[in-house]
Amino acid sequence: MVETDFAQWVLEKVLEKGVEQAVVRLQERVYESITYDTGVLRSYSVSRVVGLGIRAITKGGTGYAYTSSLDRNSVVRAIDRAVTLSKVASEFGKKSIASVSPVRDRFRVEFKVDPHQVDPKIKVDLVKEVNTNSMKRESIVSAITRLGLERDRRIILASEGTEIEVDVVGVGFAHMAVAKYGAVIERVSDRESFIGGYEYIEKRDWGVFAEEVDKLAVKASQAKTPPPGTYVAVVDNEVVGLLLHEAFGHASEGDGVVAGASILKGRIGEKVASELVTIVDAGVIEGGYPVPYDDEGVPKGKTVIVDRGVLKGYLTSRDTSKELDLEPTGNARAQDISFDTLVRQTNYYAEPRDRKVDELFEGITYGIYLKGRGAMGGQVNPSVGTYTFSIGPSYIIRNGEPSELVRGVVVSGNILETLKEVDAVANDLKITTSVFGGCGKGGQMVRVGDGGPHIRTRKIVVGGG
Amino acid sequence: MIENVVERGIKLGRKLGVSEIEVYAIKRTGLDIVGTIRGVERVSSGERVDVGVRVVIGKKATVQGGLVSRVEDVDTIVETAVKIASTLPEDPQWISLPRSLGKSQVEGLVDPRIREPDIEYFIEIAQFLLKKAGEIDKRAFTSSVSVHITTAERAIGNSYGETLREESTELDVFVSVKAVEAGEESGYYDAYSAPTLARFNPEEMISKATEVAVKTLGAKRVDTGVYELILIPRVFAGVLQSLIVPAVCADSVQKGRSPLKGRIGSQVISENLTMIDDGTYQGLTGTRGFDDEGVPTTRKSIFDRGTLKGFLYDTYTALVEGRSSTGNAFRGTPYSTPSPWISNLIVESGRGDLSDLVRDVRKGVVVYSTIGEWLSNPVSGLLNATITNGMYVENGEEKFPVRGVVISGNIYEVLKPADVRVSGEVESFGRYVLPANYIPKIVIAGK
Repeated sequence: MVETDFAQWVLEKVLEKGVEQAVVRLQERVYESITYDTGVLRSYSVSRVVGLGIRAITKGGTGYAYTSSLDRNSVVRAIDRAVTLSKVASEFGKKSIASVSPVRDRFRVEFKVDPHQVDPKIKVDLVKEVNTNSMKRESIVSAITRLGLERDRRIILASEGTEIEVDVVGVGFAHMAVAKYGAVIERVSDRESFIGGYEYIEKRDWGVFAEEVDKLAVKASQAKTPPPGTYVAVVDNEVVGLLLHEAFGHASEGDGVVAGASILKGRIGEKVASELVTIVDAGVIEGGYPVPYDDEGVPKGKTVIVDRGVLKGYLTSRDTSKELDLEPTGNARAQDISFDTLVRQTNYYAEPRDRKVDELFEGITYGIYLKGRGAMGGQVNPSVGTYTFSIGPSYIIRNGEPSELVRGVVVSGNILETLKEVDAVANDLKITTSVFGGCGKGGQMVRVGDGGPHIRTRKIVVGGG
Repeated sequence: MIENVVERGIKLGRKLGVSEIEVYAIKRTGLDIVGTIRGVERVSSGERVDVGVRVVIGKKATVQGGLVSRVEDVDTIVETAVKIASTLPEDPQWISLPRSLGKSQVEGLVDPRIREPDIEYFIEIAQFLLKKAGEIDKRAFTSSVSVHITTAERAIGNSYGETLREESTELDVFVSVKAVEAGEESGYYDAYSAPTLARFNPEEMISKATEVAVKTLGAKRVDTGVYELILIPRVFAGVLQSLIVPAVCADSVQKGRSPLKGRIGSQVISENLTMIDDGTYQGLTGTRGFDDEGVPTTRKSIFDRGTLKGFLYDTYTALVEGRSSTGNAFRGTPYSTPSPWISNLIVESGRGDLSDLVRDVRKGVVVYSTIGEWLSNPVSGLLNATITNGMYVENGEEKFPVRGVVISGNIYEVLKPADVRVSGEVESFGRYVLPANYIPKIVIAGK
């Protein structure tokens, strides 16, 4: 049923009801997850999500309806509901959306080995071996090892004539180790994901990957927490990604800007970061999660948010772009058919500059090297710009060199202050994504990519216990 | 439909010769209203039926599931589960699915005003919340409002017993207020989350959100140092959910990921703290007659005057220890393996209200909101949260607003001192009934 012809039929039925504009989305997503927990297979689960979402706009009112039942009656009911709700909404608030040129395209991630067709025993044995070997290591008291395999196929039709199909396959491996040293227990986790087939799982030695995580957990369990206070910091690629996504990305989302809930509102043309900082959001980039078109069927190219320190634009959907008088940037995304779209980031990162990573440590007598491995994520209050994130075991910098390891590191700051304090940017761009998680907003989770080069910032608040 | 899905799935599993099978189905019907400064932006509605199947062959267990379009779709899920289960290694700890299912008596799960919503009434609520902040204070405006109305029908059965069914409703309203004055900006929110409209008071919500947004305008960082702290109930909930709840779940304990392992009977936190898990408590969103395995929900003490009394179990973790499930099995999604989690968490009240707690503070911060508390580490017990709305207090008086500072410490040391205490006034929201919490000593990383 997840075919363009069916979506076309639904779209025609919606338009017959006299609505002005409509978007029809069909989706089929399969997610397979194998988890070993401390030597025992905790779960082997496969989920399949199929459904239909309909957005109707009547007299400036937007209604959205969805159904997981694709029988004729359920579909007709969903069509009627979307249209009715749009009429109800039009009585309470009207808005217009940017016009776009119709696009017809199909984007498919190429892969050699379909991850869902690989013999389950082979997949289970891989996870089992890595997990049980981890449990044999000294000081490791608990370990969770996970394999995640995903295929997400979306068909998006819009009343302007847009017809898009996006088919993404991704795989990933994750490992968390818990080490005990005296009374202290500490955990470290890491994950790697690839856009493509099972061949990416086959060509990597996951035993070595897990061993590194285990060793770091053991070292972290013996480490102290950092003295709390304000530090000069060298920030690695992964933490830069987290920082930009949380600290700047959310505030640059057009729906928050329109609602007056973003600290970046009304600041286009203003200096919001050091001139060394250029930030972009790109739909398709190596290492990231491919979003060639958003869930309104709008092409997602490369959007420059900050150019050499100056705010240049926001991420937009069709309605927020109209409101902000900007071009639609293709950032309207939905977790699945149960939701209408929100403005979301795709692959958000900082452009590299020319410094070598080693040079960033020069001249720091006392500071901190913030490391992403083991990072748990972050959060921002975009209306005031306060952000926080929990990062992995990191190193105190003494006299220009990383020295002792510290654990339990949490950093915090204000987005308009932190990026102005950046005084060096390295040349080592790295972008990553994950099939195990993503970005949460408004109850919806979407896959994203983030990253950047190493940077140095003169001032960041570190809490640590 | 969902009972048919459950019964059909179990019948097919038996026919295919599985040792045990459990089918869980949930139908959710929702209505969502989203509004911003521009007015009501969008009204959405829909229904989805999710099914999760757990199949066991000998000691080999797997969970499969997905959204279903028709009753017959469960066949494919069961067949796939059987195929995969047969290839898996045995789980030596596996004993069985719950051998008897049942329901506790619970009241107030369904509000007809939510089950058959008057759309215009809820849109008007959204409009009221959108307009009101600016009327209360010219420096404030409502930046967003969301109203989520859900009716859920759950059905569960397994190869040992009957199929259980339960219906529940939920209203979640969220309002976010921003305040702006002389180049300073501040934001705050309030939320309502409950199975019924019984306690819903939109006037109070918007007044509270506006008051805190306005009074925390011009916030600054305090110096790095040691402070007293007062957490309002909502902030206390975030801390407990991030650090204490995972640590009292039996799977974390059994796998060596809880600092509370081996500490039952010990006084772990202050005598002034008594915490109860109660899935039968009326009026909370975790209230259910049975858990996600069909085991009746219960009321049990977790900490009694600071002494650790017990952990939360699902059937798997309970049988590993030769005991019974406490009715705390939860599924992250309908297709995931159940694991223990709180149903509703109740902290017994102390004395006085929030202002009484504030009056006794010599040098501290009242925390109205944090971000990042969920990034704290339950394995080590290390608390980290960034204050986004707070008031610095000196000698019992709120002096100036605080934000952008990080509170840190080991939760078991932070909540241990004898002078940790809680207010007599409690708030009920979501899965919580909580007082405000006074902490005598905590490190704040600031200037």
